[in-house]
Amino acid sequence: MRVREWLCGVLGVSLWAAMALAEPTRLTTDGRFKDAPTFIDPAGQEVAFVVQETPQLMRAMRLSIADHAVTALNPEWHKNEFEPAFSRDGLSIASVQSRGNLSMAIVVRGFPQGPEFELPPEGGFCGFRSPTFTPDGKHVYYSFADRDRQAIMAVNRQGGDKRTIIDGPGHANWPSFAPDGQQFVFGSTRHGNYEIYAAKPDGSDVRRLTDQPRQDIRPRYSPDGRRIVFTSGRDGNYEIYVMRADGTQPKRLTDNPERDDYACWHPDSRRIVYVSERNGRHDLYVLEADQ
Amino acid sequence: MAWRWLGNPVLRVTLAERFQNTEINGAFGMLEIGRFNAHSCGGVSRRSFLRAGTALPFAIPTALATLSQPATAVASSPLKGRAKSVIFVWLWGAPSHIDTIDPKPDAVGDVRGPFATIPTRTPGLRFTELLPRLADQSRLFTVVRSHVTFSGGHPDAGTWGLTGFDEKPSPKANFGSIVAKHRGSRGTLPPYAMVGRGVPRDVVRKVEGCGGGPLGSVYDPFLLGCDESGHVEIPSLKLLDGLVPSRIHDRWALLETLDTVRREIDSDKSHWRQRRLQAYHLLTRPEARAALDLASEQPRVREAYGQTSFGQSCLLARRLVEAQVPYIHVNWSEYVEAVTPNTDFGWDTHVLNFDLLPDRLCPIFDRAFTALLSDLQDRRLLDSTLVVAIGEFGRTPRINRRASRDHWQRCYSSIWAGAGIEPGRVIGASDRNGEDPITSPVTPLMVGTTIAELAGLDTQARAEMQVLDGGAVIHELIG
Repeated sequence: MRVREWLCGVLGVSLWAAMALAEPTRLTTDGRFKDAPTFIDPAGQEVAFVVQETPQLMRAMRLSIADHAVTALNPEWHKNEFEPAFSRDGLSIASVQSRGNLSMAIVVRGFPQGPEFELPPEGGFCGFRSPTFTPDGKHVYYSFADRDRQAIMAVNRQGGDKRTIIDGPGHANWPSFAPDGQQFVFGSTRHGNYEIYAAKPDGSDVRRLTDQPRQDIRPRYSPDGRRIVFTSGRDGNYEIYVMRADGTQPKRLTDNPERDDYACWHPDSRRIVYVSERNGRHDLYVLEADQ
Repeated sequence: MAWRWLGNPVLRVTLAERFQNTEINGAFGMLEIGRFNAHSCGGVSRRSFLRAGTALPFAIPTALATLSQPATAVASSPLKGRAKSVIFVWLWGAPSHIDTIDPKPDAVGDVRGPFATIPTRTPGLRFTELLPRLADQSRLFTVVRSHVTFSGGHPDAGTWGLTGFDEKPSPKANFGSIVAKHRGSRGTLPPYAMVGRGVPRDVVRKVEGCGGGPLGSVYDPFLLGCDESGHVEIPSLKLLDGLVPSRIHDRWALLETLDTVRREIDSDKSHWRQRRLQAYHLLTRPEARAALDLASEQPRVREAYGQTSFGQSCLLARRLVEAQVPYIHVNWSEYVEAVTPNTDFGWDTHVLNFDLLPDRLCPIFDRAFTALLSDLQDRRLLDSTLVVAIGEFGRTPRINRRASRDHWQRCYSSIWAGAGIEPGRVIGASDRNGEDPITSPVTPLMVGTTIAELAGLDTQARAEMQVLDGGAVIHELIG
């Protein structure tokens, strides 16, 4: 009897432990190199991401959460696309396009169709990164490399009124807005390596949220504004972390000997989709942020 | 498991397998991390038999050279000739030495870059945090940090890096062609294989120094392509229009078709006939097919290299070593450009250097190259295989206007492993900012001469072949 009770106890503890460390659920199965997942619609039914479709082409795709079907984000788009971002209503998309020799543009389009504008490549080599919409949809923030640094810039929806929001020193990247639009987070190397900072929309009141000897990158505000998910190499390889919006209570969500990166929030602020490299394959996974 | 026949088994070759899809059972269903599933891909049989055309000079000649020339005697001293095979990993586009294996943590901010450094298994040797696997296996290799070259443009620096000489007035022989002529073939495959999507190039032109040069086009490389799923192709051999598998089984139909091609490109009947037969035998011999069949690898081995084109190409290189191919050149990419339409993501990071290195370039290289070294070591092949990883130059120590790094010919680094080279060392050093070597500079000619020496071409053999004139070995590397 005692043995049976002991076995039941052990089994119960094991089940509890297994649930506490529940494996994330895999959403794609092709294993191809992929990155930059982001939810398209406010209901969280579809995820956009970029996949290495051919050796020469990184193509924007869409994944249905319901049946895991993967199709081209737009069958008519055949250029290299990077880092797609959607407006809150899911009706506009901004992405980086490869246009010429080491030269890129940011393209903002109606989704699935509609008017568009672009920030064209400047002369010579030109590197745009990480476009994102402000919550009110009136501006697009992005990262742009110039004058020995990578700054956070902003334009209005017509591509005008260009402003430098976060200047150097160093590289600033991955702007992501709180849902009320009162502040945004970004990564910056202004103090040496990439750390996560917060600032007001005009770039003032910059506050440092992380301080680690390894990289803290790709911060994203949760849709409810309470938390920030990001990637960190602080434990030896890239893992997914969350922290409160003020930078406190960082918590590791993944524990994978290979790379976990490119986290994005589900609109419900409870789940996170990210890219996990497992056994040399890159796939999208979803996990509970509250585990 | 590896082979399925489509039509005549003589011609039907299955060269690859696919990563098996995994079923997802509900939101929290069991996950089966994929395993590789062999299937017929049509690699050689559907696509490759045989379009000579302009590509043929790169496809067939080494096979001809293989079978028509006796192998030269190999030197018997401890290191000379120690390399039964050479794997030359060509990091095309030129990685930043500072952001990879020669970091400068004490340099000023506009040189240092944002990446932290990590210790390796070699005392005193640090890499950036972008190469953790490589750092963990540093006891398998030695780093050279004092390279210089003589051109700052990709195609011409490519020729320097692959031949040891300027491309003008005419390109000299590629290191692989030299080894191929000296060693001949010890198996059924040609002695100089180039794994990649094509001859390295930028958007303007190809590298001149990939072929046999004065040794003749018979020593040009035999091109093999390998995609991320392990499908192996021979890109220089194209399927003739209308030549479907059901026709391939008819050898005479094939030969008839080839005769048509011959009339288009070659009036030398005897020469063409010889090429034709060599190519035919090459592609139909079971040993050759087996070397190209990644499906026969254990899934864990496939996975260790990563599901990327470069990763599976490195695995193919290891299989070619086992097939006794003397020289295997593995291209990182066909094009140098890091982000340009219709190119394939090389190391040329004039923009977004600090994005592309951590996001893409270094993780792929770190995984695949480390797996290659470990795999060779585990199979006891590393002692008889020389592995070199190098680009055509380095990148500017000072961060450029576009917050990235440009070309830098005055200083760069490389990795050497195997063939008796004492591992776990650093040879040469660069200055505080990685701008210039502070020890004797290592030139491309010295790289080629050292490779040749380890592959068995001593001074006399090089002189008799009239190659690598004036070259000196890197004595610190091989003693």
